[in-house]
Amino acid sequence: MFRKKRWFIFTVFAALILLLAACGGNQTDEAAGGSEGETSEESSGQKITIFQSKVEISEQLEALAKEYTEETGVEVEVWGTTGDDYFQQLQIHLNSDSGPSIFTLDGPYQAQQLQSYLADLGDAEFVPNIAPNMELTLDGKLVGLPYGVEGFGIVYNKDLVSPEDVKDYDSFVATLQRLKDEGINPFGLSQEAYFLIGHISNYPFSVQVDNVEFIKQLEAGEVTMADTPEFQEFGKFMEAIREYAVNPLDVTYDEEVGDFATGKSAMIHQGNWAWGLLADYEAEMDFEVGMMPFPLAGNDKLAVGVGAFWAVNGTKNQAEIDAAIDFLNWLVSSETGQRYIVEEFKFVPAMTNIAADNLDPLSQDVLEASNSGNTIPWSHAYYPPNLVVNEFTPIAQEFFLNEDMTGEELIQKLDEAYQNAVQ
Amino acid sequence: MSKTKDRLWFALFTVPTLFIFTIVVIVPFIYGIVYAFFQWDGIAANPKVFVGIENFIKLWSDERFLHSAWITIKFTIMAVISVNLLGLTFALLCTSALKMAKLSRTMIFMPNLIGGLILGYIWQFIFSDAFAILGELTGFDNIFFNWLLSPDYAIYAIVFVFTWQMAGYMMIVYIAGIQNIPEELMEAAKIDGANYWQRLRHITLPLLMPAFTICLFLTLSFAFKVYDVNLSLTGGGPVRSTEMFAMHIYNEIFRYNNYGYGQAKAIIFFIIIAAISLTQVYMTKKREVEM
Repeated sequence: MFRKKRWFIFTVFAALILLLAACGGNQTDEAAGGSEGETSEESSGQKITIFQSKVEISEQLEALAKEYTEETGVEVEVWGTTGDDYFQQLQIHLNSDSGPSIFTLDGPYQAQQLQSYLADLGDAEFVPNIAPNMELTLDGKLVGLPYGVEGFGIVYNKDLVSPEDVKDYDSFVATLQRLKDEGINPFGLSQEAYFLIGHISNYPFSVQVDNVEFIKQLEAGEVTMADTPEFQEFGKFMEAIREYAVNPLDVTYDEEVGDFATGKSAMIHQGNWAWGLLADYEAEMDFEVGMMPFPLAGNDKLAVGVGAFWAVNGTKNQAEIDAAIDFLNWLVSSETGQRYIVEEFKFVPAMTNIAADNLDPLSQDVLEASNSGNTIPWSHAYYPPNLVVNEFTPIAQEFFLNEDMTGEELIQKLDEAYQNAVQ
Repeated sequence: MSKTKDRLWFALFTVPTLFIFTIVVIVPFIYGIVYAFFQWDGIAANPKVFVGIENFIKLWSDERFLHSAWITIKFTIMAVISVNLLGLTFALLCTSALKMAKLSRTMIFMPNLIGGLILGYIWQFIFSDAFAILGELTGFDNIFFNWLLSPDYAIYAIVFVFTWQMAGYMMIVYIAGIQNIPEELMEAAKIDGANYWQRLRHITLPLLMPAFTICLFLTLSFAFKVYDVNLSLTGGGPVRSTEMFAMHIYNEIFRYNNYGYGQAKAIIFFIIIAAISLTQVYMTKKREVEM
């Protein structure tokens, strides 16, 4: 009796496993069948899917997709994203062979990670129009079309500070002192990884003669941060910020920008994207806003670069790849697409064939810097993946919480963290 | 005849659940074990390198892992004590003759209906803004400051919020246990002259052992696995002081891109939770008394 029961359970279980295996088999069959079915549909390039990381342009992109469908008949599906976990979600989609036709890459490291998924965009029509050095390449292959140019520096209140006051370390500290005496928070960072340390940590790298070469030497152990004068000075700057400014760990991005807009902070370290928030306060803001360079080692240039690139999924069939490239081409060359980039997405275009007028003041500063070539490059794109979030942020938190930690120690720890991440 | 029928019924009820359980728990679990022996960055197209048990050896000298293990254990001990102490106290109060018993029962249970993520964000505001104001008003600014900014206090903030969320739930389990205790026993004890503490100590608590078994098991495993409150309240910071196990594993896999290594940690994590929880159930079960 007992034995019988056991046999019964065993049979049920075995049947289950079989069923499962069968289902699994079915699923792959179905998927294969599905994509075959789609092939016939897609051989005319009737549908493309987009999965991208910038939450703030989601709605506008959907509207744009609708216009594209009306104009060309090609259906464009835009998938929603929550922003922070974009890359994990992308990874899941790609792993299950249900990846989008167009997706976002944030720089060379992600490109390398996903290299087997990237289509070569080198022959696309838009290539000659990309502003110099703004494209994303991997092993000599063009794989990413820039979203737009972004720049960061010190966003300042023109009533309280003038760029003349912030020329080097001494004048920077003197200005912090003066503003603090006036009862204004002189300088704002905020708790988010990139706003706390990620962006500002660019400067000592970017002011080097060749930042990429410097990073290579650093990774090879030929130079250290601690022995490089720009880093030593960066440590002093961070000490000054800790001494005079409100503790950034207590401040969110919204609060940072809000305090600036209401005149409680005189300077914040932000990029032209911050206008998106500042615009909400525009009616009440009775002062002018500008962006000036962070004066590390006498630096007088804004840090300008590209934060995100459009990439095409090369594992799709040729018709879908072509349709995806056509869409990107339309995005940067048609009148509608260009209008969306400038007016709706509010990007500073990284294409020479897009004219940008009516930009907000911050973007205007970035564009001017970019056009005149008066810029320093972004270096964080060349850090090991997730270095800022994984390693730099805990160290910066410790620095801002522990008054006894010196700038020198900060640099030493960043050095160690960098070496650990490279290994 | 009737036996076949019974079996059919048995199959009808168990097979669908078993089926779902198999595909969403057992199969991924086995996959997880397999991946733990590989070095892989989590992207299907990239190579998986078989490294044997190297992942399992490496993690015993991984400082971040050991630190994370230590704070998880610290958190679990504090959380289990505070949740059950409070849960039991509330249960005793809510089953007493208090006028507001029914209403307060609902109120105390309510935090449990709020999702952990939202709760974490709400408390983030309380800790950063309300605590600062309280500190200014009362002058106790060595107690009321932003706990989330201190590497030493952030963990207590999580214990606090976790307790606030879970105590109501455990209270319900304890109430059910208390209501199962026959009234005659209490009356008999009262007639014999036992005071409240004696009744609590010698009747209520021993007869509540089954409830203890359940509550301790639930809080132990919930506390070990805590992720949502951890994520929304501190995100593992400041200075990694609150990066607990579940979050540590997630970060290892998705932020450091060590899929195989992260899986190895997850398996060790599973073994630890299973061992501790089973020991606890075994020990408390032994102390349960039959009436």
